[in-house]
Amino acid sequence: MGTNQPLTLSRRNFLKVAGAAAAAGTGLIRPNSANSATPEAPSFESKYSVCDMCFNKCSLIARVRNGVVEKLDPNPKFHKSRGMLCARGNAGVRQLYDPDRLKSPLLRKGERGEGKWQRLTWDQALDHAAEQLLKIGEQYTRCGVMFMAGADMQSTFVHRFADVYGSYNKLSHESMCLIAGTRGFLDTFGEVPIPDMQYTKYVVMSGANRFEALVTPDSMDLMKAMAGGCKLVVLDPRYTKTAALAHEYFPVRPGTDMAVMLAFAHVLITEGLYDREFVEQKCYGIEQLAEHVKQYSPEWAEKECEIPAEAIRRIAREMAAAAPQAMIYPGRRSSNYRNSTQIRRAYAIVNALLGNWDRPGGLTAARMVGLKSPGYDAPFYESNPFERIDHGVAKLMFEEEGSLKIARDAVLREEPYPVKGFFTYKTNPMQTAANRSKTIEMIRKLDFMCTVDIVMSDTAWMADLVLPSQAAFERTDPCSAQQGSSACACVVMRDPVVSDPLFESKPVFWMMKELADRLDLGEYFDLSIEEYRKEQLRDLPGAMDALINDGVYYNPSKLYGVYEGRIFKTKTHKIELFNETYQQMGLDPLPVYESPTAPPKNQFRMVVGRTATITQSSSQNNSLLQEFEPENDLWIHPDSAAALGIHDGDPVTVSGKVGEQRIRARVTRRTRPDTVYMHTGYGVLSKGLSRLQGKGACIAQVLEDGLDEISGNMAMHETFVKITKEKKS
Amino acid sequence: MKTQLAMVIDASRCWDCKACMAACKTANKVPEGQWRNWIKSVDLDLVEPGGGRLIFQPGNCMHCSEPLCIKACPTGATYRNEADGTVLINRELCIGCGQCLPACPYGARFRHAELRVADKCDFCAERRAAGLEPACVATCPTKARAFGNLADPESEVARLLKRNESVQLVQAKSPTDPNIRYLGNPGRTDWPVEAQMPSAFGFWKNVAGPVVKIFVGFSALGFGAMLAKQLFLPDHPEEDRQPEEKRHE
Repeated sequence: MGTNQPLTLSRRNFLKVAGAAAAAGTGLIRPNSANSATPEAPSFESKYSVCDMCFNKCSLIARVRNGVVEKLDPNPKFHKSRGMLCARGNAGVRQLYDPDRLKSPLLRKGERGEGKWQRLTWDQALDHAAEQLLKIGEQYTRCGVMFMAGADMQSTFVHRFADVYGSYNKLSHESMCLIAGTRGFLDTFGEVPIPDMQYTKYVVMSGANRFEALVTPDSMDLMKAMAGGCKLVVLDPRYTKTAALAHEYFPVRPGTDMAVMLAFAHVLITEGLYDREFVEQKCYGIEQLAEHVKQYSPEWAEKECEIPAEAIRRIAREMAAAAPQAMIYPGRRSSNYRNSTQIRRAYAIVNALLGNWDRPGGLTAARMVGLKSPGYDAPFYESNPFERIDHGVAKLMFEEEGSLKIARDAVLREEPYPVKGFFTYKTNPMQTAANRSKTIEMIRKLDFMCTVDIVMSDTAWMADLVLPSQAAFERTDPCSAQQGSSACACVVMRDPVVSDPLFESKPVFWMMKELADRLDLGEYFDLSIEEYRKEQLRDLPGAMDALINDGVYYNPSKLYGVYEGRIFKTKTHKIELFNETYQQMGLDPLPVYESPTAPPKNQFRMVVGRTATITQSSSQNNSLLQEFEPENDLWIHPDSAAALGIHDGDPVTVSGKVGEQRIRARVTRRTRPDTVYMHTGYGVLSKGLSRLQGKGACIAQVLEDGLDEISGNMAMHETFVKITKEKKS
Repeated sequence: MKTQLAMVIDASRCWDCKACMAACKTANKVPEGQWRNWIKSVDLDLVEPGGGRLIFQPGNCMHCSEPLCIKACPTGATYRNEADGTVLINRELCIGCGQCLPACPYGARFRHAELRVADKCDFCAERRAAGLEPACVATCPTKARAFGNLADPESEVARLLKRNESVQLVQAKSPTDPNIRYLGNPGRTDWPVEAQMPSAFGFWKNVAGPVVKIFVGFSALGFGAMLAKQLFLPDHPEEDRQPEEKRHE
């Protein structure tokens, strides 16, 4: 077009322009004429690290560009995870860069839980903490401070600090998770077996949800085994995704799993299907067991568990046919019932009858990893009491884990002695311990509570002093040993992936060191993580090179037949079907079935569970994971809902003996008519979790805190609730 | 040798853990509320508990050999990469008109909420350039996804297809010859919808033949209008045909 042309287009000129545009539109200005475009390779660095989104500790590769972690990929050389990274692992980037991260030490100014904070410098914060620890120590003895650390590669330093400070009162998260199962298997086999899922042919899974609550390598190996013909039978009051993918699913009546196991034992023994040679050589108490399970026929069990007798009989026979490559899956979280230790012992006994111990596709012994635990001699404090605060209630409590249930009651009663200090690291009992009101009450009894975390969890929200911890990718961490049956016996470690930790965050190791210095205990922390690792690896030449080059070190230790020529670490030196120690302690030497109380009319048993995008209470505020589970709802069966006039999506009140919550109903056939369910970790009190405000309900507020009196595990499936429809808001 | 990148997915190994979706979102900086990939399933609430083994079906853009999205694109922004057979979007050329969205039977396309251009899976082109597998493939816990060159008989995908029966998800009225193959039984196959092609385009492209190249130019004004709309008007969520995710699944 000439410059003198009017600005209106003539028809002729328009066509010219349009033609050019059309030509453009049909390809002339495409990236290149051959229609092949290869983007430039991104110039990121790849660095090994270890995932921190749950307890599994999967080795991973961080892709870092300009000092920023852009993507996390699985480490293909890491067999324990089978070279995978789950949704939570992928969301680890969002954890690192979470705008909700704690930015500086904070001192409570208002009432507990009021959310008024004063920013402190690190010196101020540590001086204050040291002063409080000294004061409580002087007034109430050193055991007057309770320490609790979750699953973390630096938790060992919190325990070391507790030891040298002088408190026996060290707790882990495990008394709200797995210690009943650990106890039950330990008291049968003398150690806690690791299932060899990869080579198994038949799995009965009861009280576990392995395709949602991912455990490495069990979850992956089970799927692989199933592709190769392994059969999976799932017993669960909820229709989980594991149930949906199983070959057979039975909506077992909650709390009756032991009846099924005893009936399996009944069939295996009465029909002579158990591994006679194995049991004769390696087990103690088959006669007593045979006599004991006579009463527990499949027909009897059917009335308890609502699984047809014919199916129980058939499954027992099928297991026997597949044995020793068959198993009752031991499971992990077993904080369910008052008798969970005995329930899990029944699982262990059926496994022993199948003769699957120490064999491919069965339950394998722990393999040698060879990592050392650098020791130290803690000072002795004369004024201290003789025992832990939670001593003497649960007959077989693990001293190294403790029992939050018992300890919390003891703090409240101030008996056997007062505990006035509480130090927590990376654990969130406000959300994970049943009966939240009681946890709050316990915290109100304290003179000083210090919480170390990366975000303002509900537990941090209740604390007096909150210290910002570094995220995993900012830290140098000790080595960590891992067991994976046929997958591996291995070691991982963590070096910083990013050079500058965000905000004023510090590793808890540094905090412990600084506090120890202030309490004249500096000699016990006169070490660096690098030196600590060297000690850990001192018997493993080449391990550090493997960790640097591959992100993982494997010990090619013996996997099967570990017990050949060896005795079992039990009193009778055999696998104890019948446990004499239990008998001497006044416990049932064989699991004795007690029928669980049925919920009263119009009430429901509440159960706890997980999904693949949720880790306890720590992942709900993650901006990526929240897209999958934005809030929780109450699962209720259509028949039960109809009887109460409740429709899908209705707001309801869930109320039990210890508390109530408002939540939306999800009317679904995925739960039994007598059972309701909600995810853990919502209904938060903390205003520091910006994406969770007003989202869902807190299950810990409703659950009663039952007690497994053998292990001290919290029993969280012992709650009956009423559901009431609310007016739509 | 010709290259045709493809995915072979064993849906029977999927447990609906969302790892592929989380990995994709992170790798490709996909905005909140939008996804380049999905996991289809029957709603578990509608299934009789215990009614047999279920199948979850992961998917993403199928990089079809006969893609309708290319035909629907008025600017040529959507094109087939001759080098590897992938269907890509040139963001420089995309005007965000949204014509391609309903042209995909799989709902694989959406309008990027921040960039306001069409977006979808590109088999992680940037990662491939760095020698990495697509994010969803690398991260999958059960290794349900295999990725590679279909034209290379030695590739894992080719070998899987040779050894096993496989199916394509084909919409009968809008066949596109997709390059995701499912091993065995992929579960639900009834969900792809008939492609909706922009009517003016369909008419001109199919009827008018070569003349179309000139007359398509009329649309230039339309492009301008679209561009203006794109830049100044708010998004209409109903235009985005994200695959419907069942609640909770």
